[in-house]
Amino acid sequence: MKFCNKLILTIAFLLLILSSLLSFSFAEASNYPLTIIDDTGSAITIPEEPQRIISTAPSNTEILFSLGLENKIVGVTNYCNYPEKANNVEKIGEMTPLNLEKIASLKPDLILGYGLYQLGEIAPLKEAGYNIIIIEPMTINETLKSIRMVATICGITEKGNSLVESLTQRINKIKTKTSNIDISKRPKIFIGGIYETIWTPGEGTLFNELITLAGGRNIAASLPGWAKISPEFVAKEEPEIIIIPIGAMGQVDESNIKENISKHAGWSNIPAIKSGKIFVVNEDLFYRAGPRLIDGLEKLYEIFYE
Amino acid sequence: MVCNDNVLKVDNLDFSYEENHKKTLSNINFSVSRGKFLGIIGPNGSGKTTLLKIISGILKPSQGKITVFGKELADLSIEKIAQFTSVVPQETSVIFDFKVKEVVFMGRLPFISRINGETIEDYEISREAMERAKCLSLAEKNIHEISGGEKQRVFIAKALAQTPQLLLLDEFTSHLDINYKHEVVKFFKKVLENDKIIIVSAFHDLNLASILSNRLILLNEGKIEKIGTPQEVINEDIFEKVYGTRPTIINHPTLHIPQVII
Amino acid sequence: MNKSSKEIAGYTNWRKKLILTIIWGSFSIVVINFICLNFGVVSVHPKEIFSLLWGSSHDKTNSLIIWQLRFPRIIMATLTGIALSTVGGAFQGILRNPLADPYILGVSAGAALGACTAIFLQYATGYFLTPYLPLFALTGAMLSIYLVYMTAKVRYRLPLEGLLLSGVTVTFLFSAIITILIALSEKGLHSMVFWLMGDLSTANWNKITIVTFPVIVGCLIFFFFSLDLNALSLGEEEALHLGVNIKKLRLRIFIIGSIIIASVVSFTGLIGFVGLVVPHIARLLVGPDHRVMLPTSALLGAIFLPLCDTLARTIIAPSEIPIGAITALIGAPVFIHLLRRKSTKNGL
Repeated sequence: MKFCNKLILTIAFLLLILSSLLSFSFAEASNYPLTIIDDTGSAITIPEEPQRIISTAPSNTEILFSLGLENKIVGVTNYCNYPEKANNVEKIGEMTPLNLEKIASLKPDLILGYGLYQLGEIAPLKEAGYNIIIIEPMTINETLKSIRMVATICGITEKGNSLVESLTQRINKIKTKTSNIDISKRPKIFIGGIYETIWTPGEGTLFNELITLAGGRNIAASLPGWAKISPEFVAKEEPEIIIIPIGAMGQVDESNIKENISKHAGWSNIPAIKSGKIFVVNEDLFYRAGPRLIDGLEKLYEIFYE
Repeated sequence: MVCNDNVLKVDNLDFSYEENHKKTLSNINFSVSRGKFLGIIGPNGSGKTTLLKIISGILKPSQGKITVFGKELADLSIEKIAQFTSVVPQETSVIFDFKVKEVVFMGRLPFISRINGETIEDYEISREAMERAKCLSLAEKNIHEISGGEKQRVFIAKALAQTPQLLLLDEFTSHLDINYKHEVVKFFKKVLENDKIIIVSAFHDLNLASILSNRLILLNEGKIEKIGTPQEVINEDIFEKVYGTRPTIINHPTLHIPQVII
Repeated sequence: MNKSSKEIAGYTNWRKKLILTIIWGSFSIVVINFICLNFGVVSVHPKEIFSLLWGSSHDKTNSLIIWQLRFPRIIMATLTGIALSTVGGAFQGILRNPLADPYILGVSAGAALGACTAIFLQYATGYFLTPYLPLFALTGAMLSIYLVYMTAKVRYRLPLEGLLLSGVTVTFLFSAIITILIALSEKGLHSMVFWLMGDLSTANWNKITIVTFPVIVGCLIFFFFSLDLNALSLGEEEALHLGVNIKKLRLRIFIIGSIIIASVVSFTGLIGFVGLVVPHIARLLVGPDHRVMLPTSALLGAIFLPLCDTLARTIIAPSEIPIGAITALIGAPVFIHLLRRKSTKNGL
């Protein structure tokens, strides 16, 4: 009997430890259900840790991958090309109009959407009970916040925090470098395009914020949003550096683009053209509200000061 | 013996709008000399307007020959044709607000050189035409602001301004009041007398046709049922055959020309 | 009472009207152009403009701006205004339709398709095609001219309805393809839409040298068709009876007009309302006689578009409003006003 008692006690003790261990992890998992408010102002309740996530924007995909959630992603758009592995994920099609059938068929338990316009499109799925979080970060800070929020939603708050930490460190590094530079010494920047009609990012755009943070002066900084401007304005502002953001294009065409810009009528007196400081950059680093914005920031600093 | 130069001659004319379609006109033969008025009558759809269009040169016959003043119509361009043939249409739709005098003046177009422009004579002719057609007082008015009858006179003036040798009229009496009908008879008698032209007119109004025409063609389903003087053509038996009802025909008390009464 | 035959008979004194129009028109163009030169993102004092034009200023940047950017832009606006107004007036005449505009016969849809194809291919293949965009547009325009011509031919004639229907059909067809291109190219969508809206900010002297000949020569040729267009206003058959060769006339006006429009639209995109409204204003001012009305249209267009463009680029400077929006905002109320005048005149 004594041996039996000992055995029972040991087993009970082990069970106790086991259950406390389990309850500990369940305590962790009892973060769920959690309720958060997304960028559209709606309160969404996530019942449990998402295992099948769909991203409806390349920036969202990059955020998810950077948080190490790649194994949980079951659907991305046709444009989600970064990182490489994203190309292997099943495609849900366009960002707009969203293919609701395709999305539903992948049985997601979390849909990470982007932009108010998607809110309208995805309403039927919302009514059907799918969990939909929509983010629309307009600034770097909002992007970092979004990364944290996504991390929390997916139960990896720690990972989110550390990612944001390292990104913030990199930002601060740039900030200190530029804080000493006098306004007048900061180079004037013109963000052009590959078309003759000029649309340039102004106040309130991510690109503008990046330029300013990196220590440049965007000639269109005072114009709201994306502005159509005339070549006259560019000539008058005399930018010292011209940046042309493009999608992935071959090397060959970069030189064509630069040549085309330098031959533009009426621009021959612009410092950027005279010095040949025309830079073609990967637009994804500046348009996608994700961790690569910081890559873009660093790239800009490099262009401006190195 | 009729001299070719003074004659409109139609030989063996056939016409159908599309190949292998029913013929709109078949075996049309007639001639008419200067100073004479030829009337074309017949039921709706008998081919009156089509015949006029062919004589005016804007439709080409499927078969047959039309000779005008010695020249074959088929050999002439429409620019040339316009220099001796003018037309008063049944209906008109003018776009843009031209003045009456501008519309009449357009009758001079076939004679105006594109390079040298018009001459004083063109204006004289135009003005005279308006006088004769009694629409001179309307000269400055907008073509859209006059009545149907007034419009008819304007287009007659325009046709006259074109100094035609051959004048074609397509049921021009549709908008005329009864007092003007009398005027019209006088008017055309004068035109024939003064200008010695050929007038060919399609008529809906059988009685006016009878009064105005030297000769009449009665068309029935594209064929000439009868051709001759009004006395020969306006006849109870022939009319019963063509129109399907037997009319009463009397002799006009003063003009001694057959008139149809229902 | 003592009116000469001339006056009574229809001597509308068109030659005098024409000469007066040309004089005040040309004068206005020069004045308006100069005024427009004064406006822009860069404020340049009128005196300085004079010295810049005469080459005696030393400010290199301003000199470049005025000479290479602003001046060509105004000239391009002038030429485009002339082209759209003259062709609009001529098309209204040849189609006997006061609602016709220079785009109704399909050329613009072809140019648009060409441009959108270039944009689409640029994103799809990665080749830098922007410098060839006008060439693509021009090719598309030629394609549509060919298609419209072929489908409108009925037994070697170009009947009125045939031409109009073909033009409209080709426009619909090409618009559908453009819609598909827009839907397929998420990145190109913005560029395509903005090209379609029309833009004069891309003007330079090279483009002007290409556009000048077709526009000026084409419009001059049109003036020779004035009498025929007058006759056509009475009716198709009426015109035939007056000796006008309608088939030839229609073909010539269609081809020449399309070439004029193609050359302009390939560079400026689709600027609307000008070709529709300006001819009507011309008719109001000088009457419907095409001998005076067409040149007047040309001159009015030459003034109207540079003014609109100046508004477009100064109201929210340094941002710009798309030129098509300005021409519509001004053109639409003017057109409605014209229509109402007409109906009150007719007692409706």
